[in-house]
Amino acid sequence: MRLNRRQAIFQTLRMGAFSLPAISALANAPSNSGRMVLVFLRGAYDGLSMLVPHADARYAQIRPNIAIPKPDGTHKTALVLDDIFGLHPACAALLPLWQQGVLAAIPCAGSPDSSRSHFDAQYHWETGKPGFSSPSSGWLNVLSGVVGNGIGLHALGVGESSPRILSGPAPVQLVGNGLSATRPGTLADAKTREAVLQLYAGNEKMASAMLEGANSRMSTATMLKAPNMASSNELLVANNGAGAPQGLALDAKHLATLMQQNRQLRIGFLSSGGWDTHINQGNSTGLLANNLSNLSNTLIQLRSVFNEPNDVVVVASEFGRTCAENGTRGTDHGHGNVMWLLGNRVQGGKWHGRWDGLAQNQLNEGRDIPVHHDFRAVFAQALVANLELPKTAVSEVFPGYKWDNRLDGLFKI
Amino acid sequence: MPSFQLNYGLPSQIVLGVCLLLSLWGCAQKPLPPQTAALPLSPIEIKGTAAEWRAINRLTYGPSPALLADLRSNGQPKNWALSQLDAARKASLEAPKLPPDLASISDPLPTIFDGARKEREARAAVPAGTRINEFVVNEKRFHFQEEPEPLFYNRTQVNKAIAWRLASCSNDDVEQPLLARMTEFWFNHFNIYQQKGSVRPFAGHYAIHVARAHALGKFEDLVLASAKHPAMLYYLDQWLSVSPQSARAGQSGRGLNENYARELMELHTLGVQGGYTQEDVRELARIFTGWTVSPRSDSGFQFVMRLHESGNKTLMGQSIPSSAELIGMREGEQAIRFLANHPSTAQRVSRRLAEYFVADSPPQDLIDLMAKTFLASGGDIYQVMKVMLNHQAFWSPENKLYRTPYDFACASLRVLNVSQDRVKWLQAFGYAAVAGHAIQNWQTPDGYAFNANTWLTPEALTRRIDFALNISRNAPERSDLYPYLSDNTKKAVMNQAPQQRMGFVLGSSELVFK
Repeated sequence: MRLNRRQAIFQTLRMGAFSLPAISALANAPSNSGRMVLVFLRGAYDGLSMLVPHADARYAQIRPNIAIPKPDGTHKTALVLDDIFGLHPACAALLPLWQQGVLAAIPCAGSPDSSRSHFDAQYHWETGKPGFSSPSSGWLNVLSGVVGNGIGLHALGVGESSPRILSGPAPVQLVGNGLSATRPGTLADAKTREAVLQLYAGNEKMASAMLEGANSRMSTATMLKAPNMASSNELLVANNGAGAPQGLALDAKHLATLMQQNRQLRIGFLSSGGWDTHINQGNSTGLLANNLSNLSNTLIQLRSVFNEPNDVVVVASEFGRTCAENGTRGTDHGHGNVMWLLGNRVQGGKWHGRWDGLAQNQLNEGRDIPVHHDFRAVFAQALVANLELPKTAVSEVFPGYKWDNRLDGLFKI
Repeated sequence: MPSFQLNYGLPSQIVLGVCLLLSLWGCAQKPLPPQTAALPLSPIEIKGTAAEWRAINRLTYGPSPALLADLRSNGQPKNWALSQLDAARKASLEAPKLPPDLASISDPLPTIFDGARKEREARAAVPAGTRINEFVVNEKRFHFQEEPEPLFYNRTQVNKAIAWRLASCSNDDVEQPLLARMTEFWFNHFNIYQQKGSVRPFAGHYAIHVARAHALGKFEDLVLASAKHPAMLYYLDQWLSVSPQSARAGQSGRGLNENYARELMELHTLGVQGGYTQEDVRELARIFTGWTVSPRSDSGFQFVMRLHESGNKTLMGQSIPSSAELIGMREGEQAIRFLANHPSTAQRVSRRLAEYFVADSPPQDLIDLMAKTFLASGGDIYQVMKVMLNHQAFWSPENKLYRTPYDFACASLRVLNVSQDRVKWLQAFGYAAVAGHAIQNWQTPDGYAFNANTWLTPEALTRRIDFALNISRNAPERSDLYPYLSDNTKKAVMNQAPQQRMGFVLGSSELVFK
């Protein structure tokens, strides 16, 4: 079956059936089925700076230099969300979304595995199998297969060349970062394509990878042409293989354009680095504030496209940072962290799940935000509410996860 | 002088017992194959074009005309490989042959600190509101004739460091080719990010005096050199980490920072499953308090006793006493020696070397043999490499490797024999960046991945083909390569007009893999 599918794809690719008329016919396909976009912040962002527990006296005590000041109504202090939490002032653009009730936070989410290694923890988040380091597909790839019953292309990643979370047997579309995404390349020429195909004759894997890549780049370049060309300093983006937070907004724009054009794409992935703030992270202004401002702009941009009834945008990071400031006005690796959800079906304007404050005896090992809610349980709610997966299908994506009914109010069903 | 008793927790009898148990378990799980198959495999003949191609593409970045001729005239690929290893070790002990216009990356450290300070001062003197042009015109990126303006000292140092990587990977007169590969491997293993502010002017010095200088020496010396280098001290914030009790901490709110201690165990030595805990991270961070940069000393490093946290520490069950004899800096050095020679480190380093040189999933018996040699030789990297080159697995055609984008960029310069053409360097530099493998530019301490899973994807393959076809336009043919190409590749190459052929040679499976 699989072999046949590959061969079929190969033939289709070779005939150029991935061509533009076919794609644009998909553009106006019915859109009742929801879409999910994950924005993953690599390096562990400091959730306690974005969702500020302003009412907790200990917050300022344990963060003498980096706490976001208590709300005083100005834009130099936390913006009030409720009696307990506030928003970082650099995220002011998100406040209206909270007030409209489409943005929500889960303050104590994360992986049940206790690793404080970025690389281990990211692996767990991306495979959906906390605690296991054996080779495994990414869970968005598995999800793509589930969503399409094993047929067709449903997932798109913009920015990274090969993120683990999208790797696996299901086909996914990967698009380069920055303006490189807008160029079709030498293989846009049919004669060159045919000659390279000859070069790889007898190596089916290389040949189909080449055709798949060429077709994907041609259609991507056509779709992204013109409207986005002038918007950024290419070098800034090209210099940064890992994708800086300021490059995130352009990647988000490309992702949104591509997912609007091809409505078969229902799963999107974006990421940015630069969140590992061990020194001088700043407070209302500074390094982290700049990153948070870029993130907010990105979310606003995503919201302008992903605003249909079942669309949802999720923001997450591999773990949180220490509640207390470290010796160098930064924070070290912690455990639980704040996850964010944005969408019309989200019970927004409020936070969800358990929060017990910052008293030392409430913290993980006396130092970190605890994980009260498994990240898989948060995604499971989104998969059911937005992508309309049956609960039984969710365990294909997250083998062995448990449904967390304390999160049942997360979405309007 | 081993003043520090190494003890890795398990008495040797127990280790033996466990091994025995494991091997019994292994037998129980996997019945012996039938007699015929149990006979030793006939050794792979290490001769001929396949072995030659493997040696030159894995131990160097690819077949430059002269090196290929040297290998062919030798006739014994394995002997040739071993002679490359000897030559690389010899070269690592000598100063690199830096092109004169790149020499400032290897300036004495106080000179580099000075350049960075002058840039700071020059920037502070720029009137508010004046825009500084931070943009480097591509045509000038690798042109260093003039002394840089003080304002741009750091970025010029970065570009020179990148230029050195391109020169050394492509030109055998500039660098011993296997040493260039080893330098890449160790730089990446002890990765630093050259765009992090204070790290910038030191990236080239770090490549030369840490990764290159210790590339085939003792692993513990390599770890120590990296630990004390300003690039690493800045990159993982160690330079700021001080005892919470010290006077400095009281004045400026400074204190402990766990960053370096964690990555030293997780990435540089033991590995994440290597047997340490969060408590060990904390203890190791306390041990390193007081390790910081020194702008005026030749080493760039100093230990400041008053910033050091006194008191006894315990690292992985080892007591590290704070005593008159073992004060301060010695604690950190001992901890590094302990970690560098730990069995978990031997496994991790051997595995990574085998992944880089042999296969994405190298056979465990090769790794075990390398690790055994690692431990027996006190972490002698040269000896470990020798075991690898003498092992069948290195030569077995089953063990495939896919070139990373950086590898491919270097290979192109060599195959086209354009190692001195800085316009071609620009193309190579640009390709590596757009393919997600910008030279020396990975932000996080884990370094770049080097497996096919990461790099062989449809989008990335198209970028590779673009680059191969573009950089090779009008390049003269290299008929000396044709004996190494498959019939199909040769046919496809010959179907092209002569001025297009080298692009197809470069894009072929023979060069996309190695």
